[in-house]
Amino acid sequence: MNAVADTAVFFGKFLYYFLESVVFKIIPKRKKNVAGEIVLITGAGSGLGRLLAMHFASHGAILVLWDINQEGNMETCRLVKEKGDVKVFAYKCDCSNRKEVYRVANQVKEEVGDVTILINNAGVVTGKLFLDIPDHMVERSFLVNALSHFWTCKAFLPAMIKADHGHLVCISSIAGLVGTNRLSDYSSSKFAAFGLAESLFLELAMLRKSKVKSTIVCPYFIKTGMFEGCATKYPLLLPLLDQEYVAQKVFSAILEEQVYLFIPKFSYFALFLKQIISAKMMIALSEYLGMDTCMTSFKGRIKAEEEQAETERKQQ
Amino acid sequence: MSSILESVKDALIFLGKSLFSILEALLFQVIPKPQKNVAGEIVLITGAGSGLGRLLALQFAHLGSVLVLWDVNKEANEETLQIAREAGATRVHAYTCDCSQKEDVYRVADQVKKEVGDVSILINNAGIVTGKKFLDCPDELMEKSLDVNFKAHLWTYKAFLPTMIANNHGHLVCISSSAGLIGVNGLADYCASKFAALGFAESMFIETFAQNQKGIKTTIVCPFFIKTGMFEGCTTKCPTLLPILDPEYAVRKIVQAILQEKLYLYIPKFLYFIMFLKSFLPVETGLLIANYLGVFHVMDGFTGQKKKMQR
Repeated sequence: MNAVADTAVFFGKFLYYFLESVVFKIIPKRKKNVAGEIVLITGAGSGLGRLLAMHFASHGAILVLWDINQEGNMETCRLVKEKGDVKVFAYKCDCSNRKEVYRVANQVKEEVGDVTILINNAGVVTGKLFLDIPDHMVERSFLVNALSHFWTCKAFLPAMIKADHGHLVCISSIAGLVGTNRLSDYSSSKFAAFGLAESLFLELAMLRKSKVKSTIVCPYFIKTGMFEGCATKYPLLLPLLDQEYVAQKVFSAILEEQVYLFIPKFSYFALFLKQIISAKMMIALSEYLGMDTCMTSFKGRIKAEEEQAETERKQQ
Repeated sequence: MSSILESVKDALIFLGKSLFSILEALLFQVIPKPQKNVAGEIVLITGAGSGLGRLLALQFAHLGSVLVLWDVNKEANEETLQIAREAGATRVHAYTCDCSQKEDVYRVADQVKKEVGDVSILINNAGIVTGKKFLDCPDELMEKSLDVNFKAHLWTYKAFLPTMIANNHGHLVCISSSAGLIGVNGLADYCASKFAALGFAESMFIETFAQNQKGIKTTIVCPFFIKTGMFEGCTTKCPTLLPILDPEYAVRKIVQAILQEKLYLYIPKFLYFIMFLKSFLPVETGLLIANYLGVFHVMDGFTGQKKKMQR
């Protein structure tokens, strides 16, 4: 009889949650208030990190900006201050260095307070065939994109658990869900970040009524300069994303405490297909979507800057 | 006009290929898929000293392959060598190698190339598990997990893939885990490493495919817990759906997948269904199902290899 009761309860709850999710697709979910929250963003010096900083600033959060690039970070600081009376703290930090992460984390705890929203966003990409990537760059990809998440979570999660209040945000990638040509190091590091974030989400869920939330974001290529030169075959299905759009979606997902966010929506369907189709069909689908050629014209951030410098020099 | 024609052509090619592969899959449900002959192939297995690695070595010994056994534990590795010889293997070579050290991997790889030849089947199997909650796990142990379970794959690929490409003949086998498909509480570092291994193997598969290197095959294996002692103490609530796997069974399925050049192998089959559900069910319902299956408590009784070492 116990088993019958259990199963009945299970199906009851299942139906309830399913209906709840359908309802929330129609009516918008309640957005939480982040005024006064201490938000730490790694890689805040540019791209997505900078835009997220500005969103949080307009909603009254206290910002802690980390980046290895001092200049970019100070620029973000300046742009954020333009939003009004905002408390913002900028620190130079090489996230790939464990000791540095812990050192700067301690500084933050002393000078600012306990971080309540941690956004692991810092990322690097090489964009070459695996055998052409020097070993140290493969290692660096992994250190920045994945291992840094371990250290920041170790540094800030204990306080969140103690206060039973916090939010871990992991910026992974579609390449963290599907292997991609010329992105073997990036992809594997984003897979690792996803796996860590998901495991932590489940560990926190088991802590009974834990108010420490998780959000895992997997965007397709975003036009921030990081993936400069990449091409997409079908912009209707898999567009190169506009960074403002992505930042807005990520910010909303955090406020609504959404666990998974894949952008664009077509990715949910593509990943659903991946689970039901055979390997050969998956290959046919990747070919069709241009996943094997999207990185062929990749130039990346450095080269784009170099080219700009070249053009400027020529114009002088 | 021409771009529309291009799109239509692409769509038709895609549909055509899809139809073909569906028919092929249906066919192979009825007749058994052909299995390749691996006699004479040079098979390198990392972590061959125990568990799955040792059983794989035995299987390949029966199949007449040349065995190259790597393990950090010299004694255990030598034991596997003995057992393989007794099973009939004529050419077996054992090397002590710490896969977590890049230089060691390269050094021993060079030895293998000189003394044995070109590795044609690479089985990245070596793995460790700490089994501690994230905040209770020392940083060094987590780094070690990642080094052995994932980074070792980077270095072995770098060491052996170029020759495979030059010969247009090779098979890359990645022993990942069901924990490489879904996060598990109590296994944060292990999950991250197995996710990374899977992502890497998948990316490399796409790369070799895009480079038209048709002779390079890939197999990615994601088993649930196997009774090899590695996950000693782990329990499962639903042994019919998610059993702690019998090692002999697991190894048979893995070798079969390699011989059939299958790309993915999830064991048990129920994992395919779980991944299917995960891809569209809302988070709460997913958690509900996981709870029902007892997945949140699999690691509660974990003791691991400790008891064995205390003897």
